[in-house]
Amino acid sequence: MLEESERAIFEVPIGPQHPALKEPILLLFKIEGDTIVDVMARPAYTHRGVEKATEARNYIQNIYLCERVCGICSCIHTLVYTQGVEKLADVEPPPRAKYIRVIMSELERIHSHTLWLGVAAHELGFDTLFYYVWRDRELVMDLLELISGNRVNYAMSTVGGVRRDISDAVAHQIKKGMEILRKRLDVYTEVVEKEPTLRKRVIDVGKLSPHDAVALCAVGPTLRMTGVKRDVRADDPYQAYDEIPFNVATYDTGDVLAQIIVRVVETYEAANIIDYAIDHMPSGPIKVKVPWNIAPNEIITRGEAPRGELFYYFKSNGTEKPERVKIRTPTLGNIPAVCEMLKGYHIAEIPIVFAGIDPCLSCTARFAFIDERKGKSWVWSGDQLRTYRRKYYKRYGR
Amino acid sequence: MVELEETVEKLKAGIGADNVLEVKYQPPRNVFVLVKTEKLKDAVSCVMKELGYQYIITISGVDLIKQNQFEVIYHLSDYSNTISLKVRIPRDNPKVPTITDIIPGATLYEREVHDMFGIVAEGHPNLTKLLLADGWPDDLHPLRKDVTVKQIRERLEEERKKGVRGI
Repeated sequence: MLEESERAIFEVPIGPQHPALKEPILLLFKIEGDTIVDVMARPAYTHRGVEKATEARNYIQNIYLCERVCGICSCIHTLVYTQGVEKLADVEPPPRAKYIRVIMSELERIHSHTLWLGVAAHELGFDTLFYYVWRDRELVMDLLELISGNRVNYAMSTVGGVRRDISDAVAHQIKKGMEILRKRLDVYTEVVEKEPTLRKRVIDVGKLSPHDAVALCAVGPTLRMTGVKRDVRADDPYQAYDEIPFNVATYDTGDVLAQIIVRVVETYEAANIIDYAIDHMPSGPIKVKVPWNIAPNEIITRGEAPRGELFYYFKSNGTEKPERVKIRTPTLGNIPAVCEMLKGYHIAEIPIVFAGIDPCLSCTARFAFIDERKGKSWVWSGDQLRTYRRKYYKRYGR
Repeated sequence: MVELEETVEKLKAGIGADNVLEVKYQPPRNVFVLVKTEKLKDAVSCVMKELGYQYIITISGVDLIKQNQFEVIYHLSDYSNTISLKVRIPRDNPKVPTITDIIPGATLYEREVHDMFGIVAEGHPNLTKLLLADGWPDDLHPLRKDVTVKQIRERLEEERKKGVRGI
């Protein structure tokens, strides 16, 4: 072992723009040889000032603003937001709306976890699995589109209930979809349990001890993969979760394998929750009226997003606009933990360990073109994209 | 609720009942407790060490511009119940003691509150910018109520003209 002064420590910046990262973040590594000694993160290259913007809009406009905080967990953002406004105004949403919200947020959890599994497989260089998982993810995306008409921002929750009902025919489709999904999940479980090329890359990589996970305030699957059985749905039940039986998925090794297993088991659980919720969904109205102006009050509200705990703090001032809305997304809570997880591992393991917490730094999904020579930029609509796709596959596809 | 009431009683016994200025319950599992600023660290360590709470959800800043004060809220949780500890500090000298020595996971949240409100966590190991851009002016705190979006835009434009990069 060399003396402190003789050890050569290099600083290696990765990001904000880097092929290995899906979203802009600056990770500043201190490296000794090939081993990571220390990490510093600067996550906010896409800070958009949403909290400031909420203060200038009324409670209804803010639903659509908060939905756009995240593209992948857009449903849970509106759910927690509207749940907060309902608590502020002291209004109880009808029981059927609560069940519909649960079904939507669990469908979203499935879509998010399968998306993550695909990305993780891709980071491991296992692109076959990536393509298979994302093909099966389309199943859930189609169901979400069937219910809400949208693939990304579902606009389901509104203050006082939900905007669309789930009919019996759609419920039947969802149940059929869950059956197919379970069969596909069996295949992936087998892959994770038996495929040696995958297991060698993930066992004992990016380890986190339960003690550190709790001390660094990790949330969601990143906490549960260390064996700490904590889930807002079970600990602080919201909506209809206190009426639905489910298991909190945990695993005790605290490495990337545990992350994969926890998320796969959670996907199974989500499918079970959806089945149960559809079978036990009460009938009745889906929306109640909420006053436009809300009396001065303050509350906190929490929900379990696919990545972990989502937290909102609200303060109202008697007008139709909130005084203060504070949003804490789960990824910010997991950044200290992932910095700890990276320490002591090699540069080659950065992508998978970092992808392991399922980071969601910004969420923009726009198809924009910029023509530098002509100095023009334009945006394609969904229909234009679809036409382009049809033309492309007619020409080149099979 | 009963459990939470007991916890608040224990907290009162731990830091002295006259240091707790206000208690407001939010059923079923949250309580807001206003404490004196000088007793904040005692209150946090009492909740974390003696009452068995393990986790800080986040730190919220609120600008009470009418009272010329900032409110800083520490949302501490045992994953099920939440105690939201509040302190009020003067707007012209916004300082709170750091709690990162008690809860290492609070580092980023203290930096966030510093960025957005200019509230200094005294004793924080690395109170640099977290969410704002590197070239962002140090005295411009966007979530303060007396800073409007228009002012922010104009100020940043000014800085860009001066040649400041990274905003």
